[in-house]
Amino acid sequence: MKQRPAVCIRIEADLVAAATGEADAAAARRVTDHVAACGSCGEEYAHYRAVDRAIGALREVPVDAGGAARARERLEARLLDLRSRLIAYRVFDSPLGPVLLAHSEQGVVLLEYLHGPAGAAASRRLAHRGGVELVRDSGEAEALYRELQAYLEGRTHQLRWPLDLRLVRSPFQRKVLERTAEIPYGAVVSYKRLAEDVGQPRAVRAVAQALRWNPIPVAIPCHRVVGVTGLLTGYAGGETGRKQRLLTLEGVPVVPAHHDYAIARGAMYVLAPGDSEYCLPSCPSTEMLQSGRPMFFGSRTGAEAIGLRPCTTCRPDLHPLHEVN
Amino acid sequence: MSEHHGEIYRYVLRLTGRRTDADDLSQETFLRAFRAHRGLPPDANARAWLFAIATNLCRNHFRAQKRRRLAYAEVELGARARDDERPDGVTVSRQMGAAVGTVVARLPLKQRVAFLQRKVHGLDYDTIGRSLECSAESARAHVFQALRKVRLALERDGLIDKELAT
Repeated sequence: MKQRPAVCIRIEADLVAAATGEADAAAARRVTDHVAACGSCGEEYAHYRAVDRAIGALREVPVDAGGAARARERLEARLLDLRSRLIAYRVFDSPLGPVLLAHSEQGVVLLEYLHGPAGAAASRRLAHRGGVELVRDSGEAEALYRELQAYLEGRTHQLRWPLDLRLVRSPFQRKVLERTAEIPYGAVVSYKRLAEDVGQPRAVRAVAQALRWNPIPVAIPCHRVVGVTGLLTGYAGGETGRKQRLLTLEGVPVVPAHHDYAIARGAMYVLAPGDSEYCLPSCPSTEMLQSGRPMFFGSRTGAEAIGLRPCTTCRPDLHPLHEVN
Repeated sequence: MSEHHGEIYRYVLRLTGRRTDADDLSQETFLRAFRAHRGLPPDANARAWLFAIATNLCRNHFRAQKRRRLAYAEVELGARARDDERPDGVTVSRQMGAAVGTVVARLPLKQRVAFLQRKVHGLDYDTIGRSLECSAESARAHVFQALRKVRLALERDGLIDKELAT
């Protein structure tokens, strides 16, 4: 077998590269120079050029366009289905303890306070939903959580989360939650009042259950609903510590009561149902305070933020209560 | 996001040689991508990333099937070229394309992946290396190995002489 010159062996890799469009300018120049002088490498080069053209021909071979189009149609349908079923979740260490935040394409599905080992509780609540596909969140929940954090640090008064109410169990619960979402920041109403507002004045306990299973606390502020006597009574199926913290954050005066906390109604402004003026708790027009129907405000700013005017009889603007915050 | 689907479908079809595999695996590629990101990263990496997922799925698929390669080109592409064999330039180039397809279908998986990604889809060596979990240099070496085999096969079939003669 004929021994090839060393220079030809050395340039072989560059030659293949140059012939198939893979070489840089310097290598291409070296190859051109060498090929001009070396007959056998010239032939070699021509062969690889032919290979390159053949590869070009391979690219031109039509590849099953019909099959591709059909596969793509099926893919679109499956993607659509997957998108509707996908729920992404992530656990965060919030100021209120570990919380699980889950969201779909439509919005936040679940905010759950974790009591036991992280994740266990939530997977129970989500996994029991048929047709749901759970995945770990890959980053979008971060922005949602940052907003929650800002809220819990008092930097914002409203979570602008889009909500996905798919975990709501009944039209009744939906009605209760929608009504609850309207309670303004810094205000408190009783379960009884809420029951009346949804048109079921005797369903106070059902209202409480509906709130207990509120899938998205904080965003739907069920912590702003308390017992008719002012006791916090319960929160998210657990003790009321978190409820007390959330209310205090909003400027609602909360004091310890036996085995519980209570809002300090004597230190809050009062709004009778249907009224557009808020009053001092001592105002004669608030005699129905015991009925459990008024809305209470922790501060004048909270009341005025929703467009209420001070009562012209008791003038809370001239004799403000000692305001918390 | 499925704007890339056609390309991935063609890639998987060339890699596996079977329509049903191309159908299933290309769909699975996008469903996986969607589960991971609920969409695609908006930058140019999306394409590289999809190729990597598709390659992985094909590799697992081959492993599961205990079937490393299929001479599909003979069945699907080669047959068509032989059917209308006419002595003009178009047919020679078609024949060449089909012949390359046949060789590629018989390459070892890594070389086939590297060759297809580089020569058919024009990806860079870093990207190919990511798909193969190897360095850019190794990816380049795989492509060159494949090129040598293609050349030898074409020479053996006398196709290069034929092409050079036209």
